[in-house]
Amino acid sequence: MTRHTRILMSVIYWAFIVYLFVPLVLMVTMGFKDSKFIGFPIRGWTLEWYASVFQDTQVLGVFAYSMTIALATTALSLAIGTWIACFLGPHKFRGKLIVFAITCLPAVIPGIISAISLRIFARLIELEPGMLAIILGHTVHNVPFVALVVMARLATLPKSHVEAARDLGADAIVAFFRITLPYLMPALIGAGIFCMLLSFDDFVRAFFLGGYEPTLPVLIFAKLRSGMSPEINAISTVVLLLTAVLGLWAERSMRRLNKGA
Amino acid sequence: MARTESDYAEAAERRVSAGRGGQRRSVWGRLLANDLYQAVSAVLFKSERRQFWLLASLPLLWVFIAHLGPIVQMVWISFVDSYPPTGGRVPQFTVANWTSFFQEAIFVMPFLRTLAFAFVLTLCTLVLTYPVAYFLAKHVKRQNQLLFLLLLLIPFWVGEIVRTYAIMILLGNNGAVNLALKYLGLIDRPIPFMYTSFSLGVGIIYLTSLYMLLPLYSALEKIPNSYLEAAADLGAGSWYRFRRVTLPLSKEGIASGCTLVFLISTGYYATPVLLGGPSTTVFAETIAGFFHVAGDKWPVGAAFSSLMLITTLAITGLFLKLMGRSGRSMMQ
Repeated sequence: MTRHTRILMSVIYWAFIVYLFVPLVLMVTMGFKDSKFIGFPIRGWTLEWYASVFQDTQVLGVFAYSMTIALATTALSLAIGTWIACFLGPHKFRGKLIVFAITCLPAVIPGIISAISLRIFARLIELEPGMLAIILGHTVHNVPFVALVVMARLATLPKSHVEAARDLGADAIVAFFRITLPYLMPALIGAGIFCMLLSFDDFVRAFFLGGYEPTLPVLIFAKLRSGMSPEINAISTVVLLLTAVLGLWAERSMRRLNKGA
Repeated sequence: MARTESDYAEAAERRVSAGRGGQRRSVWGRLLANDLYQAVSAVLFKSERRQFWLLASLPLLWVFIAHLGPIVQMVWISFVDSYPPTGGRVPQFTVANWTSFFQEAIFVMPFLRTLAFAFVLTLCTLVLTYPVAYFLAKHVKRQNQLLFLLLLLIPFWVGEIVRTYAIMILLGNNGAVNLALKYLGLIDRPIPFMYTSFSLGVGIIYLTSLYMLLPLYSALEKIPNSYLEAAADLGAGSWYRFRRVTLPLSKEGIASGCTLVFLISTGYYATPVLLGGPSTTVFAETIAGFFHVAGDKWPVGAAFSSLMLITTLAITGLFLKLMGRSGRSMMQ
Protein backbone atom coordinates (compact mmCIF):
# COMPACT_ATOMS: atom_id res chain seq x y z
CA MET A 1 0.00 0.00 0.00
CA THR A 2 1.48 3.30 -1.03
CA ARG A 3 1.77 6.27 1.28
CA HIS A 4 -0.72 8.29 -0.76
CA THR A 5 -3.54 5.80 -0.50
CA ARG A 6 -2.85 5.48 3.21
CA ILE A 7 -3.17 9.23 3.71
CA LEU A 8 -6.23 9.36 1.47
CA MET A 9 -7.92 6.67 3.53
CA SER A 10 -7.24 8.36 6.82
CA VAL A 11 -8.70 11.56 5.33
CA ILE A 12 -11.81 9.65 4.29
CA TYR A 13 -12.10 8.14 7.77
CA TRP A 14 -11.91 11.52 9.48
CA ALA A 15 -14.24 13.09 6.95
CA PHE A 16 -16.71 10.34 7.73
CA ILE A 17 -16.36 11.01 11.46
CA VAL A 18 -17.04 14.70 10.77
CA TYR A 19 -20.14 13.73 8.77
CA LEU A 20 -21.35 11.65 11.71
CA PHE A 21 -20.65 14.18 14.44
CA VAL A 22 -21.29 17.60 12.91
CA PRO A 23 -25.10 17.22 12.73
CA LEU A 24 -25.25 16.06 16.34
CA VAL A 25 -22.92 18.81 17.56
CA LEU A 26 -25.03 21.38 15.73
CA MET A 27 -28.16 20.00 17.27
CA VAL A 28 -26.70 20.19 20.77
CA THR A 29 -25.37 23.71 20.14
CA MET A 30 -28.72 25.03 18.95
CA GLY A 31 -30.27 23.87 22.21
CA PHE A 32 -28.26 26.53 24.03
CA LYS A 33 -29.00 29.33 21.59
CA ASP A 34 -30.78 32.38 22.96
CA SER A 35 -33.38 32.59 20.21
CA LYS A 36 -36.39 30.64 19.09
CA PHE A 37 -34.94 30.49 15.60
CA ILE A 38 -32.84 27.43 14.71
CA GLY A 39 -29.89 28.36 12.52
CA PHE A 40 -26.97 30.68 12.20
CA PRO A 41 -25.86 33.22 13.31
CA ILE A 42 -25.81 32.63 17.07
CA ARG A 43 -25.84 35.85 19.09
CA GLY A 44 -26.36 34.69 22.67
CA TRP A 45 -26.54 31.63 24.88
CA THR A 46 -29.13 30.42 27.36
CA LEU A 47 -30.23 27.45 29.49
CA GLU A 48 -33.83 28.54 29.25
CA TRP A 49 -34.86 25.70 26.93
CA TYR A 50 -33.55 23.08 29.31
CA ALA A 51 -35.34 24.75 32.21
CA SER A 52 -38.61 24.77 30.31
CA VAL A 53 -38.20 21.12 29.24
CA PHE A 54 -37.56 19.95 32.78
CA GLN A 55 -40.67 21.82 33.94
CA ASP A 56 -42.83 20.52 31.13
CA THR A 57 -44.97 17.86 32.76
CA GLN A 58 -46.02 16.45 29.38
CA VAL A 59 -42.41 15.81 28.37
CA LEU A 60 -41.57 14.28 31.74
CA GLY A 61 -44.65 12.07 31.60
CA VAL A 62 -43.80 10.92 28.09
CA PHE A 63 -40.24 10.24 29.17
CA ALA A 64 -41.47 8.01 32.01
CA TYR A 65 -43.89 6.29 29.61
CA SER A 66 -41.09 5.53 27.14
CA MET A 67 -38.85 4.33 29.95
CA THR A 68 -41.52 1.96 31.27
CA ILE A 69 -42.00 0.51 27.81
CA ALA A 70 -38.24 0.12 27.36
CA LEU A 71 -37.81 -1.65 30.70
CA ALA A 72 -40.73 -4.01 30.18
CA THR A 73 -39.55 -4.76 26.64
CA THR A 74 -36.05 -5.49 27.85
CA ALA A 75 -37.20 -7.89 30.56
CA LEU A 76 -39.49 -9.76 28.18
CA SER A 77 -36.98 -9.86 25.31
CA LEU A 78 -34.24 -11.19 27.58
CA ALA A 79 -36.45 -13.93 29.00
CA ILE A 80 -37.85 -15.06 25.66
CA GLY A 81 -34.59 -14.60 23.74
CA THR A 82 -32.59 -16.58 26.29
CA TRP A 83 -35.16 -19.36 26.29
CA ILE A 84 -35.02 -19.54 22.50
CA ALA A 85 -31.21 -19.55 22.57
CA CYS A 86 -31.12 -22.37 25.12
CA PHE A 87 -33.48 -24.35 22.93
CA LEU A 88 -31.96 -23.63 19.52
CA GLY A 89 -28.32 -23.55 20.57
CA PRO A 90 -27.58 -27.02 21.88
CA HIS A 91 -30.40 -29.05 20.32
CA LYS A 92 -30.42 -30.66 16.92
CA PHE A 93 -33.77 -31.52 15.38
CA ARG A 94 -35.51 -31.59 12.05
CA GLY A 95 -36.67 -28.17 10.89
CA LYS A 96 -34.22 -26.36 13.14
CA LEU A 97 -33.12 -24.16 10.27
CA ILE A 98 -36.71 -23.05 9.65
CA VAL A 99 -37.24 -22.23 13.32
CA PHE A 100 -33.97 -20.33 13.30
CA ALA A 101 -34.96 -18.36 10.21
CA ILE A 102 -38.33 -17.44 11.73
CA THR A 103 -36.54 -16.39 14.90
CA CYS A 104 -34.42 -13.94 12.89
CA LEU A 105 -37.28 -12.78 10.67
CA PRO A 106 -38.40 -9.67 12.64
CA ALA A 107 -34.84 -8.33 12.57
CA VAL A 108 -34.67 -8.17 8.78
CA ILE A 109 -38.19 -7.08 7.85
CA PRO A 110 -38.32 -3.40 6.82
CA GLY A 111 -39.53 -1.29 9.74
CA ILE A 112 -42.77 -0.01 8.21
CA ILE A 113 -43.92 -3.51 7.23
CA SER A 114 -43.10 -4.86 10.66
CA ALA A 115 -45.11 -2.04 12.24
CA ILE A 116 -48.11 -2.51 9.93
CA SER A 117 -48.21 -6.28 10.35
CA LEU A 118 -48.02 -5.91 14.12
CA ARG A 119 -50.83 -3.34 14.02
CA ILE A 120 -53.01 -5.85 12.18
CA PHE A 121 -51.94 -8.60 14.55
CA ALA A 122 -52.77 -6.47 17.60
CA ARG A 123 -56.25 -5.97 16.15
CA LEU A 124 -56.61 -9.72 15.66
CA ILE A 125 -55.77 -10.54 19.27
CA GLU A 126 -57.88 -7.55 20.33
CA LEU A 127 -55.03 -5.67 21.90
CA GLU A 128 -55.93 -1.97 22.03
CA PRO A 129 -53.28 0.40 20.64
CA GLY A 130 -51.26 1.59 23.59
CA MET A 131 -48.55 0.54 25.99
CA LEU A 132 -49.10 -3.22 25.81
CA ALA A 133 -49.21 -3.22 22.01
CA ILE A 134 -45.97 -1.23 21.85
CA ILE A 135 -44.30 -3.58 24.32
CA LEU A 136 -45.38 -6.55 22.19
CA GLY A 137 -44.06 -4.88 19.03
CA HIS A 138 -40.73 -3.96 20.55
CA THR A 139 -40.30 -7.39 22.09
CA VAL A 140 -40.90 -9.09 18.74
CA HIS A 141 -38.31 -6.80 17.20
CA ASN A 142 -35.72 -7.32 19.96
CA VAL A 143 -35.96 -11.07 20.56
CA PRO A 144 -33.81 -11.99 17.51
CA PHE A 145 -30.94 -9.82 18.74
CA VAL A 146 -31.04 -11.31 22.23
CA ALA A 147 -31.29 -14.85 20.85
CA LEU A 148 -28.29 -14.36 18.54
CA VAL A 149 -26.07 -12.79 21.22
CA VAL A 150 -26.99 -15.39 23.83
CA MET A 151 -26.53 -18.26 21.37
CA ALA A 152 -23.04 -17.03 20.57
CA ARG A 153 -22.17 -16.91 24.26
CA LEU A 154 -23.83 -20.25 24.99
CA ALA A 155 -21.74 -21.96 22.31
CA THR A 156 -18.61 -21.19 24.35
CA LEU A 157 -19.93 -22.71 27.60
CA PRO A 158 -18.06 -25.98 28.17
CA LYS A 159 -20.53 -28.85 28.42
CA SER A 160 -18.59 -30.25 31.36
CA HIS A 161 -19.67 -27.34 33.58
CA VAL A 162 -23.31 -28.31 33.42
CA GLU A 163 -22.47 -32.02 33.63
CA ALA A 164 -20.45 -31.41 36.79
CA ALA A 165 -23.39 -29.64 38.36
CA ARG A 166 -25.69 -32.48 37.40
CA ASP A 167 -23.22 -35.02 38.85
CA LEU A 168 -23.33 -33.10 42.09
CA GLY A 169 -27.07 -33.55 42.17
CA ALA A 170 -28.51 -30.41 40.61
CA ASP A 171 -31.51 -30.95 38.37
CA ALA A 172 -31.86 -29.21 34.99
CA ILE A 173 -33.50 -26.11 36.46
CA VAL A 174 -30.99 -25.62 39.27
CA ALA A 175 -28.09 -26.27 36.88
CA PHE A 176 -29.48 -23.61 34.57
CA PHE A 177 -29.81 -21.00 37.30
CA ARG A 178 -26.48 -21.75 38.98
CA ILE A 179 -24.23 -22.52 36.02
CA THR A 180 -25.66 -21.42 32.67
CA LEU A 181 -27.25 -18.15 33.73
CA PRO A 182 -24.20 -16.71 35.55
CA TYR A 183 -22.08 -17.69 32.57
CA LEU A 184 -24.45 -15.85 30.22
CA MET A 185 -24.54 -12.72 32.39
CA PRO A 186 -22.18 -10.47 30.37
CA ALA A 187 -24.08 -11.32 27.19
CA LEU A 188 -27.39 -10.64 28.93
CA ILE A 189 -26.25 -7.25 30.22
CA GLY A 190 -25.00 -6.22 26.78
CA ALA A 191 -28.08 -7.51 24.96
CA GLY A 192 -30.35 -5.98 27.60
CA ILE A 193 -28.92 -2.50 27.16
CA PHE A 194 -29.23 -2.78 23.39
CA CYS A 195 -32.86 -3.79 23.85
CA MET A 196 -33.43 -0.68 25.93
CA LEU A 197 -31.81 1.48 23.26
CA LEU A 198 -33.76 -0.14 20.44
CA SER A 199 -37.04 0.24 22.30
CA PHE A 200 -36.39 3.75 23.56
CA ASP A 201 -35.30 4.97 20.10
CA ASP A 202 -37.92 3.19 18.05
CA PHE A 203 -40.32 5.39 16.18
CA VAL A 204 -42.20 3.43 13.57
CA ARG A 205 -43.60 0.66 15.80
CA ALA A 206 -44.48 3.09 18.59
CA PHE A 207 -46.18 5.34 16.04
CA PHE A 208 -48.45 2.68 14.61
CA LEU A 209 -49.03 0.65 17.77
CA GLY A 210 -49.44 3.56 20.18
CA GLY A 211 -52.68 5.03 21.38
CA TYR A 212 -53.20 8.69 22.25
CA GLU A 213 -50.23 8.75 24.58
CA PRO A 214 -47.01 9.25 22.56
CA THR A 215 -43.60 7.80 23.31
CA LEU A 216 -40.66 10.19 23.28
CA PRO A 217 -39.68 9.73 19.60
CA VAL A 218 -43.34 10.05 18.59
CA LEU A 219 -43.62 13.25 20.63
CA ILE A 220 -40.50 14.70 19.02
CA PHE A 221 -41.86 13.75 15.60
CA ALA A 222 -45.17 15.45 16.32
CA LYS A 223 -43.40 18.60 17.56
CA LEU A 224 -41.13 18.60 14.49
CA ARG A 225 -44.09 18.48 12.14
CA SER A 226 -45.32 21.74 13.61
CA GLY A 227 -41.86 23.31 13.24
CA MET A 228 -38.40 23.27 14.75
CA SER A 229 -37.92 24.70 18.21
CA PRO A 230 -34.98 24.85 20.63
CA GLU A 231 -36.98 22.82 23.12
CA ILE A 232 -36.79 19.87 20.73
CA ASN A 233 -33.01 20.34 20.73
CA ALA A 234 -32.97 20.26 24.52
CA ILE A 235 -35.07 17.07 24.66
CA SER A 236 -32.96 15.46 21.92
CA THR A 237 -29.74 16.37 23.70
CA VAL A 238 -30.92 14.70 26.90
CA VAL A 239 -31.87 11.61 24.87
CA LEU A 240 -28.50 11.72 23.12
CA LEU A 241 -26.58 11.80 26.38
CA LEU A 242 -28.63 9.00 27.84
CA THR A 243 -28.23 6.75 24.81
CA ALA A 244 -24.49 7.42 24.56
CA VAL A 245 -23.95 6.45 28.20
CA LEU A 246 -26.10 3.33 27.86
CA GLY A 247 -24.40 2.38 24.60
CA LEU A 248 -20.91 2.74 26.02
CA TRP A 249 -21.91 0.64 28.98
CA ALA A 250 -23.30 -2.08 26.72
CA GLU A 251 -20.19 -1.97 24.57
CA ARG A 252 -18.00 -2.40 27.64
CA SER A 253 -19.83 -5.46 28.85
CA MET A 254 -19.81 -6.98 25.37
CA ARG A 255 -16.05 -6.37 25.03
CA ARG A 256 -15.36 -8.11 28.30
CA LEU A 257 -17.44 -10.97 27.01
CA ASN A 258 -15.31 -11.26 23.89
CA LYS A 259 -12.18 -11.36 25.98
CA GLY A 260 -13.73 -14.37 27.69
CA ALA A 261 -14.37 -12.97 31.15
CA MET B 1 -19.84 -39.70 26.50
CA ALA B 2 -23.32 -38.26 26.44
CA ARG B 3 -25.13 -38.63 29.70
CA THR B 4 -28.81 -39.31 30.11
CA GLU B 5 -31.34 -38.38 32.72
CA SER B 6 -31.02 -41.75 34.47
CA ASP B 7 -27.31 -41.14 35.10
CA TYR B 8 -28.20 -37.97 36.88
CA ALA B 9 -31.02 -39.50 38.90
CA GLU B 10 -28.55 -41.32 41.09
CA ALA B 11 -26.52 -38.17 41.62
CA ALA B 12 -29.66 -36.33 42.59
CA GLU B 13 -30.48 -39.08 45.09
CA ARG B 14 -27.06 -38.75 46.67
CA ARG B 15 -27.41 -35.01 46.79
CA VAL B 16 -30.74 -35.23 48.56
CA SER B 17 -29.62 -37.75 51.13
CA ALA B 18 -26.53 -35.68 51.86
CA GLY B 19 -28.80 -32.71 52.24
CA ARG B 20 -30.87 -34.52 54.82
CA GLY B 21 -27.77 -35.14 56.89
CA GLY B 22 -28.26 -31.87 58.71
CA GLN B 23 -25.32 -29.95 57.25
CA ARG B 24 -25.81 -26.34 56.31
CA ARG B 25 -27.48 -26.07 52.98
CA SER B 26 -27.78 -23.33 50.38
CA VAL B 27 -31.11 -22.08 49.14
CA TRP B 28 -30.67 -24.24 46.07
CA GLY B 29 -29.84 -27.26 48.20
CA ARG B 30 -32.95 -26.77 50.25
CA LEU B 31 -34.98 -26.34 47.09
CA LEU B 32 -33.62 -29.63 45.73
CA ALA B 33 -34.43 -31.36 49.00
CA ASN B 34 -37.97 -30.02 49.06
CA ASP B 35 -40.44 -32.84 48.52
CA LEU B 36 -42.91 -30.83 46.49
CA TYR B 37 -40.15 -29.50 44.23
CA GLN B 38 -38.82 -33.02 43.74
CA ALA B 39 -42.25 -34.26 42.76
CA VAL B 40 -42.69 -31.45 40.22
CA SER B 41 -39.18 -31.90 38.90
CA ALA B 42 -39.67 -35.64 38.54
CA VAL B 43 -42.80 -35.12 36.46
CA LEU B 44 -41.20 -32.40 34.30
CA PHE B 45 -37.93 -34.12 33.59
CA LYS B 46 -39.08 -37.71 33.45
CA SER B 47 -37.55 -38.36 30.05
CA GLU B 48 -35.25 -36.72 27.56
CA ARG B 49 -38.18 -36.39 25.24
CA ARG B 50 -40.34 -34.60 27.75
CA GLN B 51 -37.47 -32.31 28.65
CA PHE B 52 -36.98 -31.46 24.99
CA TRP B 53 -40.61 -30.56 24.43
CA LEU B 54 -40.72 -28.59 27.64
CA LEU B 55 -37.77 -26.52 26.47
CA ALA B 56 -39.20 -26.26 22.96
CA SER B 57 -42.69 -25.18 24.01
CA LEU B 58 -42.25 -21.46 24.54
CA PRO B 59 -39.76 -20.81 21.73
CA LEU B 60 -41.90 -22.62 19.16
CA LEU B 61 -45.11 -20.93 20.33
CA TRP B 62 -43.43 -17.53 20.38
CA VAL B 63 -41.76 -17.63 16.99
CA PHE B 64 -44.73 -19.13 15.18
CA ILE B 65 -47.31 -16.87 16.79
CA ALA B 66 -45.47 -13.59 17.38
CA HIS B 67 -42.89 -13.65 14.59
CA LEU B 68 -44.75 -15.42 11.82
CA GLY B 69 -48.32 -14.66 12.92
CA PRO B 70 -48.36 -10.94 12.03
CA ILE B 71 -46.97 -11.62 8.55
CA VAL B 72 -49.44 -14.41 7.84
CA GLN B 73 -52.28 -12.28 9.17
CA MET B 74 -51.17 -9.34 7.00
CA VAL B 75 -51.15 -11.48 3.86
CA TRP B 76 -54.56 -12.91 4.75
CA ILE B 77 -56.08 -9.46 5.32
CA SER B 78 -54.80 -8.40 1.92
CA PHE B 79 -57.22 -10.84 0.28
CA VAL B 80 -60.44 -9.75 1.99
CA ASP B 81 -62.69 -6.87 1.05
CA SER B 82 -63.03 -5.30 4.48
CA TYR B 83 -61.15 -5.34 7.73
CA PRO B 84 -61.47 -4.85 10.71
CA PRO B 85 -64.85 -6.66 10.49
CA THR B 86 -67.81 -4.39 11.10
CA GLY B 87 -71.37 -5.23 12.09
CA GLY B 88 -71.12 -8.98 11.72
CA ARG B 89 -70.37 -8.81 7.99
CA VAL B 90 -68.41 -11.79 6.79
CA PRO B 91 -65.33 -10.61 4.86
CA GLN B 92 -65.35 -11.74 1.24
CA PHE B 93 -62.35 -13.00 -0.69
CA THR B 94 -61.01 -10.56 -3.28
CA VAL B 95 -57.86 -9.72 -5.20
CA ALA B 96 -58.98 -6.12 -5.80
CA ASN B 97 -56.54 -4.84 -3.17
CA TRP B 98 -53.63 -6.22 -5.11
CA THR B 99 -54.83 -5.18 -8.55
CA SER B 100 -55.55 -1.63 -7.36
CA PHE B 101 -51.81 -1.14 -7.06
CA PHE B 102 -51.24 -1.39 -10.79
CA GLN B 103 -54.08 0.94 -11.69
CA GLU B 104 -52.72 4.10 -10.14
CA ALA B 105 -49.47 5.87 -10.92
CA ILE B 106 -49.52 7.43 -7.42
CA PHE B 107 -49.02 3.90 -6.07
CA VAL B 108 -46.55 2.54 -8.62
CA MET B 109 -44.29 5.60 -8.65
CA PRO B 110 -43.46 5.64 -4.91
CA PHE B 111 -42.92 1.90 -5.05
CA LEU B 112 -40.38 2.13 -7.86
CA ARG B 113 -38.86 5.23 -6.31
CA THR B 114 -38.35 3.42 -3.00
CA LEU B 115 -36.59 0.52 -4.69
CA ALA B 116 -34.44 2.81 -6.83
CA PHE B 117 -33.57 4.95 -3.81
CA ALA B 118 -32.66 1.93 -1.74
CA PHE B 119 -30.53 0.56 -4.57
CA VAL B 120 -28.62 3.81 -5.16
CA LEU B 121 -28.20 4.50 -1.45
CA THR B 122 -26.90 0.99 -0.82
CA LEU B 123 -24.30 1.51 -3.53
CA CYS B 124 -23.34 4.96 -2.18
CA THR B 125 -23.05 3.61 1.35
CA LEU B 126 -20.83 0.77 0.14
CA VAL B 127 -18.49 3.11 -1.75
CA LEU B 128 -18.42 5.57 1.13
CA THR B 129 -17.82 3.13 3.98
CA TYR B 130 -15.46 0.67 2.29
CA PRO B 131 -12.38 2.90 2.66
CA VAL B 132 -13.41 3.72 6.22
CA ALA B 133 -13.71 0.05 7.12
CA TYR B 134 -10.47 -0.73 5.31
CA PHE B 135 -8.62 2.03 7.09
CA LEU B 136 -9.94 0.83 10.42
CA ALA B 137 -9.15 -2.84 9.84
CA LYS B 138 -5.77 -2.53 8.17
CA HIS B 139 -4.16 0.79 9.06
CA VAL B 140 -5.19 1.45 12.64
CA LYS B 141 -3.08 -0.30 15.27
CA ARG B 142 -4.94 -3.16 16.88
CA GLN B 143 -4.94 -1.62 20.34
CA ASN B 144 -6.47 1.58 18.94
CA GLN B 145 -9.12 -0.11 16.83
CA LEU B 146 -11.67 -0.25 19.63
CA LEU B 147 -11.38 3.49 20.20
CA PHE B 148 -11.71 4.30 16.49
CA LEU B 149 -14.65 1.94 16.23
CA LEU B 150 -16.39 3.46 19.26
CA LEU B 151 -16.10 6.86 17.64
CA LEU B 152 -18.15 5.47 14.76
CA LEU B 153 -20.59 3.64 16.99
CA ILE B 154 -21.65 6.46 19.29
CA PRO B 155 -23.77 8.38 16.75
CA PHE B 156 -25.58 5.19 15.83
CA TRP B 157 -27.01 4.62 19.27
CA VAL B 158 -29.00 7.80 18.87
CA GLY B 159 -32.48 7.16 17.55
CA GLU B 160 -33.90 7.65 14.09
CA ILE B 161 -35.89 10.79 14.92
CA VAL B 162 -33.14 12.63 16.76
CA ARG B 163 -30.65 11.95 13.98
CA THR B 164 -33.13 12.97 11.31
CA TYR B 165 -33.65 16.23 13.17
CA ALA B 166 -29.89 16.74 13.30
CA ILE B 167 -29.78 16.42 9.50
CA MET B 168 -32.63 18.93 9.20
CA ILE B 169 -30.54 21.45 11.13
CA LEU B 170 -27.44 20.67 9.09
CA LEU B 171 -29.08 21.14 5.69
CA GLY B 172 -31.60 23.88 6.48
CA ASN B 173 -31.50 27.21 4.69
CA ASN B 174 -29.71 28.66 7.71
CA GLY B 175 -27.86 25.45 8.44
CA ALA B 176 -24.16 24.85 8.71
CA VAL B 177 -23.63 23.75 5.11
CA ASN B 178 -25.24 26.84 3.63
CA LEU B 179 -23.44 29.04 6.15
CA ALA B 180 -20.09 27.51 5.24
CA LEU B 181 -20.73 27.89 1.50
CA LYS B 182 -21.77 31.50 1.99
CA TYR B 183 -18.73 32.18 4.15
CA LEU B 184 -16.47 30.75 1.45
CA GLY B 185 -18.15 33.07 -1.01
CA LEU B 186 -19.40 30.25 -3.21
CA ILE B 187 -23.05 31.25 -2.96
CA ASP B 188 -24.93 34.39 -1.98
CA ARG B 189 -28.33 32.82 -1.52
CA PRO B 190 -28.87 29.60 0.48
CA ILE B 191 -29.27 26.44 -1.60
CA PRO B 192 -32.58 24.75 -0.76
CA PHE B 193 -31.22 21.30 0.16
CA MET B 194 -34.18 20.34 2.30
CA TYR B 195 -37.23 18.40 1.11
CA THR B 196 -35.36 16.99 -1.90
CA SER B 197 -34.01 13.57 -2.70
CA PHE B 198 -30.59 14.93 -1.75
CA SER B 199 -31.56 15.67 1.86
CA LEU B 200 -33.39 12.34 2.05
CA GLY B 201 -30.33 10.52 0.73
CA VAL B 202 -27.98 12.23 3.16
CA GLY B 203 -30.37 11.37 6.00
CA ILE B 204 -30.80 7.71 5.06
CA ILE B 205 -27.06 7.18 4.61
CA TYR B 206 -26.57 8.85 7.96
CA LEU B 207 -28.96 6.33 9.51
CA THR B 208 -27.81 3.16 7.78
CA SER B 209 -24.06 3.39 7.16
CA LEU B 210 -23.17 1.47 10.31
CA TYR B 211 -25.03 -1.60 9.03
CA MET B 212 -22.62 -1.55 6.10
CA LEU B 213 -19.54 -0.58 8.06
CA LEU B 214 -19.61 -3.29 10.70
CA PRO B 215 -19.91 -6.31 8.35
CA LEU B 216 -17.23 -4.81 6.09
CA TYR B 217 -14.94 -4.19 9.03
CA SER B 218 -15.28 -7.69 10.41
CA ALA B 219 -14.69 -9.22 6.96
CA LEU B 220 -11.64 -7.07 6.25
CA GLU B 221 -10.23 -7.59 9.71
CA LYS B 222 -10.15 -11.35 9.12
CA ILE B 223 -7.92 -11.09 6.04
CA PRO B 224 -4.38 -11.98 7.14
CA ASN B 225 -1.81 -9.35 6.21
CA SER B 226 0.44 -12.15 5.01
CA TYR B 227 -1.89 -12.73 2.02
CA LEU B 228 -1.35 -9.17 0.86
CA GLU B 229 2.37 -9.43 1.50
CA ALA B 230 2.54 -12.66 -0.47
CA ALA B 231 0.73 -11.01 -3.38
CA ALA B 232 3.13 -8.07 -3.20
CA ASP B 233 6.12 -10.44 -3.16
CA LEU B 234 4.79 -12.05 -6.29
CA GLY B 235 4.79 -8.66 -7.93
CA ALA B 236 1.16 -7.58 -7.68
CA GLY B 237 0.60 -3.85 -7.67
CA SER B 238 -1.66 -2.25 -5.08
CA TRP B 239 -4.70 -2.05 -7.37
CA TYR B 240 -4.24 -5.65 -8.51
CA ARG B 241 -3.86 -6.79 -4.88
CA PHE B 242 -7.05 -5.00 -3.97
CA ARG B 243 -8.99 -6.48 -6.88
CA ARG B 244 -7.70 -10.03 -6.60
CA VAL B 245 -7.15 -10.48 -2.86
CA THR B 246 -8.94 -7.95 -0.66
CA LEU B 247 -12.14 -7.55 -2.63
CA PRO B 248 -12.93 -11.26 -3.08
CA LEU B 249 -12.12 -11.98 0.56
CA SER B 250 -14.41 -9.22 1.78
CA LYS B 251 -17.31 -10.46 -0.36
CA GLU B 252 -19.17 -11.81 2.64
CA GLY B 253 -19.04 -8.46 4.37
CA ILE B 254 -20.23 -6.70 1.22
CA ALA B 255 -23.11 -9.15 0.81
CA SER B 256 -24.41 -8.85 4.35
CA GLY B 257 -23.83 -5.10 4.51
CA CYS B 258 -25.72 -4.47 1.26
CA THR B 259 -28.57 -6.77 2.30
CA LEU B 260 -29.00 -5.05 5.64
CA VAL B 261 -28.81 -1.52 4.25
CA PHE B 262 -31.21 -2.30 1.41
CA LEU B 263 -33.81 -3.88 3.68
CA ILE B 264 -33.52 -1.25 6.39
CA SER B 265 -33.56 1.75 4.08
CA THR B 266 -36.82 0.64 2.43
CA GLY B 267 -38.46 0.54 5.85
CA TYR B 268 -38.04 4.12 7.04
CA TYR B 269 -41.18 6.14 7.48
CA ALA B 270 -40.43 9.19 9.65
CA THR B 271 -37.23 10.17 7.84
CA PRO B 272 -38.86 10.54 4.38
CA VAL B 273 -41.75 12.43 5.99
CA LEU B 274 -39.40 14.90 7.67
CA LEU B 275 -36.59 15.19 5.13
CA GLY B 276 -38.39 14.55 1.87
CA GLY B 277 -40.89 16.57 -0.09
CA PRO B 278 -43.85 15.91 -2.37
CA SER B 279 -41.53 14.75 -5.14
CA THR B 280 -39.84 12.14 -2.96
CA THR B 281 -42.84 10.28 -1.54
CA VAL B 282 -41.70 6.76 -0.70
CA PHE B 283 -43.82 3.63 -0.48
CA ALA B 284 -43.72 3.63 3.32
CA GLU B 285 -45.70 6.87 3.24
CA THR B 286 -48.18 5.39 0.76
CA ILE B 287 -48.69 2.37 3.01
CA ALA B 288 -49.01 4.49 6.13
CA GLY B 289 -51.75 6.50 4.41
CA PHE B 290 -54.07 3.48 4.50
CA PHE B 291 -53.68 3.12 8.24
CA HIS B 292 -54.26 6.72 9.28
CA VAL B 293 -57.83 6.74 8.10
CA ALA B 294 -60.62 4.56 9.49
CA GLY B 295 -60.30 0.83 9.13
CA ASP B 296 -61.81 0.06 5.76
CA LYS B 297 -58.58 0.79 3.89
CA TRP B 298 -56.56 -1.75 5.86
CA PRO B 299 -56.78 -4.53 3.27
CA VAL B 300 -55.25 -2.30 0.59
CA GLY B 301 -52.46 -1.27 2.97
CA ALA B 302 -51.89 -4.91 3.85
CA ALA B 303 -51.69 -5.86 0.16
CA PHE B 304 -49.18 -3.10 -0.50
CA SER B 305 -47.09 -4.08 2.53
CA SER B 306 -47.09 -7.70 1.40
CA LEU B 307 -46.07 -6.65 -2.09
CA MET B 308 -43.18 -4.63 -0.72
CA LEU B 309 -42.09 -7.40 1.64
CA ILE B 310 -42.11 -10.00 -1.12
CA THR B 311 -40.26 -7.70 -3.51
CA THR B 312 -37.53 -6.68 -1.07
CA LEU B 313 -37.00 -10.24 0.14
CA ALA B 314 -36.89 -11.50 -3.46
CA ILE B 315 -34.35 -8.86 -4.44
CA THR B 316 -32.10 -9.57 -1.47
CA GLY B 317 -32.49 -13.31 -1.97
CA LEU B 318 -31.49 -12.99 -5.60
CA PHE B 319 -28.61 -10.73 -4.65
CA LEU B 320 -27.28 -13.18 -2.06
CA LYS B 321 -27.60 -15.98 -4.56
CA LEU B 322 -25.59 -13.96 -7.07
CA MET B 323 -22.98 -13.32 -4.43
CA GLY B 324 -22.71 -17.07 -4.18
CA ARG B 325 -23.93 -17.75 -0.72
CA SER B 326 -27.12 -18.68 1.04
CA GLY B 327 -29.09 -16.34 3.26
CA ARG B 328 -28.56 -18.76 6.07
CA SER B 329 -24.91 -17.99 6.67
CA MET B 330 -25.64 -14.28 6.66
CA MET B 331 -27.78 -14.62 9.72
CA GLN B 332 -25.07 -16.31 11.71
